[in-house]
Amino acid sequence: MISPDIIIVFVSLFIVFIGLGFYGKYWRRGDLNHVHEWSLAGRKLGTTLVFFLIGADLYTAYSFVAIPSGVFAKGSLYFFAIPYVMLTFAVALVAMPRLWTLAKEKGYITASDFVKDRFNSRTLAIMIAITGIVAELPYIALQIVGMQAVLTVMLAGYANAQVAQEISLLVAFVILAAFTYTSGLRGATLTAIFKDILVWITVIAIIVIVSITIGGFGNVFKAVGNNYVTLSDNLVPAYATLILGSALALYLYPHAISGVLSAQSAQKLRSSTALLPLYGIGLAILALMGILVYAVPGAMNFLSGFPESSRGILVVPSLILYSLPSWFSGVALLGVFVGGLVPAAIMAMAQANLLTRNIIKEIKPNLSDKSEIQITKASSTIFKFVALGFVFSVPATYAISLQLLGGILIAQILPAVFCGLYVKSLRKMPLIIGLLAGIISGILMVEFTNSFGQLTSSLLKTMFGPIYIAVIALGINLAISFGGSMIQKKIDSKKNTEQ
Amino acid sequence: MHSKTRYIILALLILIPSAVNLGVPIYNRDAPELFGMPFFYWFQTFWLVACTGFYLAYSKLVEKKV
Repeated sequence: MISPDIIIVFVSLFIVFIGLGFYGKYWRRGDLNHVHEWSLAGRKLGTTLVFFLIGADLYTAYSFVAIPSGVFAKGSLYFFAIPYVMLTFAVALVAMPRLWTLAKEKGYITASDFVKDRFNSRTLAIMIAITGIVAELPYIALQIVGMQAVLTVMLAGYANAQVAQEISLLVAFVILAAFTYTSGLRGATLTAIFKDILVWITVIAIIVIVSITIGGFGNVFKAVGNNYVTLSDNLVPAYATLILGSALALYLYPHAISGVLSAQSAQKLRSSTALLPLYGIGLAILALMGILVYAVPGAMNFLSGFPESSRGILVVPSLILYSLPSWFSGVALLGVFVGGLVPAAIMAMAQANLLTRNIIKEIKPNLSDKSEIQITKASSTIFKFVALGFVFSVPATYAISLQLLGGILIAQILPAVFCGLYVKSLRKMPLIIGLLAGIISGILMVEFTNSFGQLTSSLLKTMFGPIYIAVIALGINLAISFGGSMIQKKIDSKKNTEQ
Repeated sequence: MHSKTRYIILALLILIPSAVNLGVPIYNRDAPELFGMPFFYWFQTFWLVACTGFYLAYSKLVEKKV
């Protein structure tokens, strides 16, 4: 059982977090009855704030839970997260300032707004909105799994731990829903800064303290298996395609696009994107925790009390508990806890924008601005609780599996969104067929790889070795989108000459 | 600067770091170690700093009026 001072520190800092969330309403005041004020903080965020806000999307429970957990169980393969974030910023530097400029000019709030305008196709815009909403849901669920991991470690040994955990999560979500309702993206930005400060302190403290107590990294790497030191040759294609597929997908997620569009200028967006790889250093340290934990007997002993499948997600919180001084554990655990909470808020807001602007408004075009903002606020609340209900009703490993599938789905909007920014010759019909083909083939390949059972792998065995399915499905999608557009162009020009 | 040269430099500032990131065999080795950490891990962490350099140069060059 943990000492009460951890809980005191944890709760006090959580109160500060709540205060900041509500204060967001008054920060850089704007009329929050306008969608762009509520959802994009009035498009006024400078280099530093965009850096923190998009950084908050990176340091999600994905980095605290899924990556260290993968490294812990499978070894170096899961270190792909580091080159992946580096590559994703290269993609972002090329694509996002252009999207920002168009969005500012024409008032877009979502990627779907852009697609509708660019290709003059409601069908394609609605399909992209649905893909975004569906892919985002397991991502929110994963955040909750991360928060759950913190609570599991904190409450271990107490009576009624399960009930206490569910009540704590519910309370946290009610508070989160209340301040995103009133403050919008401003609340999320302020709390993102608070969260990032805690996270950076934690990451630096862990790496310093753990490496001193275990007497250098050398011993750990000698003690663990070879698959923790480097990649075996047959995993090289998997590593490279996981980097590529994830890097192309990250900035297609609705929450990443909201973050980008909240920047004050394309120039500020570029500067903050260029600096974001530095964030990856913290991510690299967290990933290494999956290996270093093997050298911390207290943490390993604690983990052995849990079923093998759930040990991975507890690596970071238990390492915090068993290597840092107790008051400091409270700070670090809260950092991880709100590290799930803040992105969950941003994600639910982005989903709500897609639902309201790109689905409901398409069906009821004469929606007033006032109803639009009301529906957006209400649905962002609903999406949070849908994700929470999902986590309460299925095992934690399901959230991680579905997150794998989400990544494959979101990558399929790349031809319309990214290629649409630069390539003039693309047509709507081939894009629609390509998107469908990408999604269907992606789902089928995932199901086939996992023998139609529980989803644990997103790598398809091919003659070139295991390949990340998102990349194959995207290849099919791109071939149809570009090939189809070329054919259509030829048919059109033939028609013109015949006339 | 000539606009074509500028364009090539911009492309290289994006393509060089990306080629290294995707060229997994370049860094998939255990030696030389740094403080006991295999090359695989410390190189990719170090490369984050190098990438920041490339990307900052790219964004400065894009902003520059020709």
